[in-house]
Amino acid sequence: MDISQVLFYALSAMALGSAIMVVISRNPVHSVLWLIITFFAISGHYILMNAQFLGIVNLIVYAGAIMVLFLFVIMLMNLNAETEPQKNKWLKLAGVVAGGCLLLVLVAALKQAEVKGKVAMLETGDIGLIRNLGKALFTDFVVPFEISSILFLSAMVGAVVIGKK
Amino acid sequence: MLIEKYIYLAIALFCIGIVGVLARRNAIIIFMCIELMLNAVNLLLVAFSKMHHAAAVAKGATAGIEGQLFVFFIMVVAAAEVSVGLAIIVMMYRNTHSVDVNFLNRLKH
Amino acid sequence: MTNLQLLALLPFMVLATAAVVVILLIAFKQSHTVIQVTGFFMMCAVVLAMWFVRDTLPREVPPLLVVDGLAALFTGLIIFSVLVVGLLSYIYFEEREENPKEYYILLFLATLGAAVLTISRHFISFFIGLELLSVSLYALIAYLRNRNNAIEAGVKYLMLAALTSAFLLFGMALIYMETGSMEFTAIGNAITKSGTSVLFLMGIGLIVVAIGFKLALVPFHLWAADVYQGAPAPVTAFIATVSKIGVFAVFVRFAQAIHLHENALAVTVLTVIAIACMIAGNVLALMQQNIKRLLAYSSIAHFGYLLVAFLSGDAGVGAGVFYLLAYSITLLSAFGIITLLSTRRKDADELSGYRGLFWRNPLMAAIFTVALLSLAGIPLTAGFPAKFFILTVGVQQHMWLLAVVLVLTSVIGLYYYLRIISTLFASPPLSPAKEKSLHPLFYAATYTSLVVLMFLLAWLGIFPGFIIDNVQEFLVIR
Repeated sequence: MDISQVLFYALSAMALGSAIMVVISRNPVHSVLWLIITFFAISGHYILMNAQFLGIVNLIVYAGAIMVLFLFVIMLMNLNAETEPQKNKWLKLAGVVAGGCLLLVLVAALKQAEVKGKVAMLETGDIGLIRNLGKALFTDFVVPFEISSILFLSAMVGAVVIGKK
Repeated sequence: MLIEKYIYLAIALFCIGIVGVLARRNAIIIFMCIELMLNAVNLLLVAFSKMHHAAAVAKGATAGIEGQLFVFFIMVVAAAEVSVGLAIIVMMYRNTHSVDVNFLNRLKH
Repeated sequence: MTNLQLLALLPFMVLATAAVVVILLIAFKQSHTVIQVTGFFMMCAVVLAMWFVRDTLPREVPPLLVVDGLAALFTGLIIFSVLVVGLLSYIYFEEREENPKEYYILLFLATLGAAVLTISRHFISFFIGLELLSVSLYALIAYLRNRNNAIEAGVKYLMLAALTSAFLLFGMALIYMETGSMEFTAIGNAITKSGTSVLFLMGIGLIVVAIGFKLALVPFHLWAADVYQGAPAPVTAFIATVSKIGVFAVFVRFAQAIHLHENALAVTVLTVIAIACMIAGNVLALMQQNIKRLLAYSSIAHFGYLLVAFLSGDAGVGAGVFYLLAYSITLLSAFGIITLLSTRRKDADELSGYRGLFWRNPLMAAIFTVALLSLAGIPLTAGFPAKFFILTVGVQQHMWLLAVVLVLTSVIGLYYYLRIISTLFASPPLSPAKEKSLHPLFYAATYTSLVVLMFLLAWLGIFPGFIIDNVQEFLVIR
């Protein structure tokens, strides 16, 4: 077992464990913190796959910006474990069972599928580097890039319109 | 690394997100769980992008780059969605003094 | 990107410019009226731009976009609907005390999202167009935030739309894995070469879930009635027409590219969904006392009918476009009446409020009656030939079960449409006089456009041939 495999399993365990903690934490602030750890683990996976640009952007955008926004909102509302609304036990159980069923179905489908032998390259390949991504982004994919800037305009206007008193 | 392992990981994360959406009542936590699901998809897309790159690297140096670009766009969209979504949730809190989605039952037949 | 490709995208750029122009007008503190009129002319400019570029079609903008006849048709339909929605918005929002100006920015951006959907042939543009539409819609639905229902509708739509976009992405990822491409035609080529696998079908299933949510197909329709009721009336009209047209357009393009009609499993699933839509939509509408909720259930049923055209494959596209045109005109005139009757405090959505409308305002009652007759598919209105064409292609493709369900559920539908019409002509209660504070010019403009819509309905109902020929002409541009 070489180092990248060890890293893969460690990061996967970290992502799964903290994802579960996001769901079961009673305190919303703790949920946010666990989710940030999940995002760090996923960024680690990206870097392991040599998708360095996405790894960094994931940290900056998700862990840095989006989660801080969540944290701000939670603190603004002063939410904590005591104010946290709880579903009754049976509804929670139903949720877990439904999620588990979906998991089983997906895993069963994956067992059926012929994906054996295909590998994702680790540590090699340079498509994840900023130079190549940037080239593709500003040539072939320039139109969606512009549209996503318009999307931000829409989000900005929407947030301002809704947020103002 | 075998691609199945990434698929299993992503499926597990996706399903944890779904369980969170179904089992929690706090609108903010539900929204966070949706973000978790989006991240599971992102991980999947990057893994597939590297898989197709490995398979077609002889044909072109940039094979499989779409997957990573798509992840970039998903992140962009998620950021926009979160900003509007949180604004709506804050507004809901102002009106009902709660973020409990079960309070949302005024619209009736 | 070449000049010709840029030229083909001109209408979409004008549409984006419209939003920016509105922002600038707001910055210069122009009045609601100025913004409304400018917005109207900008939409006309989009139509002009489409006319201007018509000869350069079809034009591909690889790898993401293609502007062809199908796109032109659907975009035209979208712009037409937005013109009417914009006009209705003026009266609706001028009566509300809140500042209505930013509404138009969001409206035009959501329109751009729907228009991008019509030209996309790649998962990335599909997703971005869909999200541009959704993100603008979140804000539009919750726009009148002082009313509790608006927020409830907004939060519901937000949560469910975000959840379904996660499903959509998961489906896209699975398809990307199986085919190694995100472009529709390349996906189609890949599966004709290697056949469909389990994961591919699962990916298609997840995408159908997301599209079913946006089109409010059964069983993903649970949001529809609440959001229709809670959103402001013009926004409801927007959701019912523009947003659904855009999503339907991309669904048609996707299905054509991957030959969805040749996949027995997918056809079976969609058939079941179509039957469920027709039955559930009509049955749920039967006992409904709220007009907006009733129209929500009725639009579920109408998309069930539309799925029959969709399932007929390429032959059904023309019928589908004609159906969407008739449906849009009908719904826009119905929502026009709801908007006109709405007051400052609440939307006119209770059926009891329409009692004896004919004796108070015969013109409104006439327009509403024609719209409802068209929804029911009575001859001499646009709904009849639309349904007839769908039935014809359904029978031609030997989809007997669907055809039978279509006819039977239309009969059920007739009951509740006629129930509303009988309410319109019942003896009126003592009604409070409605205060009219607006400039009469805008009432005149709205009435005129609604009357034009009414005549369009009748014209389409009596002479559908002209439109259907034109639609077919457009559809061969590809």
